[in-house]
Amino acid sequence: MRYTLSMAIMLVHAAPVAHAETIIATVNGMVCAFCATGIEKSFKKQSAVAEILVDLEHKKVTVHTKPERTLDDTLVTKLITDAGYAVVGIERRP
Amino acid sequence: MAKPISYVGGTMLMQEADETGYSLAADYTLSPKLAVGVFGKKEIKGDRYSFGGPQVNTLLKRWNLPDGQGNIFTMTGVGIARDNNPGPSRSHFAAWTGVLADYETRRIFTSYELRLMYADNIEKAAWQRARVGFAPYLANYNDVNTWLMIQVDHHPAKDRTTVVTPLVRVFYKTFLAEAGISSHGRLMFNWVQQF
Repeated sequence: MRYTLSMAIMLVHAAPVAHAETIIATVNGMVCAFCATGIEKSFKKQSAVAEILVDLEHKKVTVHTKPERTLDDTLVTKLITDAGYAVVGIERRP
Repeated sequence: MAKPISYVGGTMLMQEADETGYSLAADYTLSPKLAVGVFGKKEIKGDRYSFGGPQVNTLLKRWNLPDGQGNIFTMTGVGIARDNNPGPSRSHFAAWTGVLADYETRRIFTSYELRLMYADNIEKAAWQRARVGFAPYLANYNDVNTWLMIQVDHHPAKDRTTVVTPLVRVFYKTFLAEAGISSHGRLMFNWVQQF
């Protein structure tokens, strides 16, 4: 009983107090790396963005946010559309 | 050479030096369908003159496909032209417009461009340019991208009306450069920097 309680307390303390989010957008039209630099530049202007990865092969834009920060779907879609591309799906992972 | 509209808030500087002359353009993208800037060119190998002024670039149509992108752009400007032929040089009203259509995948590239030039008493001309190219290897976003292309210019007002230029295009991140040698042995060198 004491062991179980100790483990539970340890797990609670080990859990992150603040979590970041990973946003993965599937993008159509993203075939040119030179042109797609606009996506990276636009996302890096957002204070919530910790890292952005552009993958032409899998047609994905992956955004890692800072802890306790997020970007809503509307903003993600606008930033990619303003760079000249079409968003066909957005998924989120904690 | 590069698409005349980049991303909203983006600035692009583009320089071309080829058989037809030397040009420099700076564009600022206001919206996904509109960029404004300035364009200037020194024409050679025919009527010799320089012209320049403000230019507006628009995106008429874009197709964003799973494995490709197609675009139709227009580029239109007005300004001043100066005659560089021997004799007294005078300033003339100039206006130019053009349409550029392209389609590319990660492997192939095609484009066609038609330009109309009006420079009062100096030149009234239409010229066209087509390009085809392919990527010898599939590069991803963080790689150096290399393309092999052939450019064909048809410019009735020039000394040599048809010019074929094989060229190599290389780009990495925000910098793009092209180099080639025309069918008349003239060096072509272009570059684009995005900010």
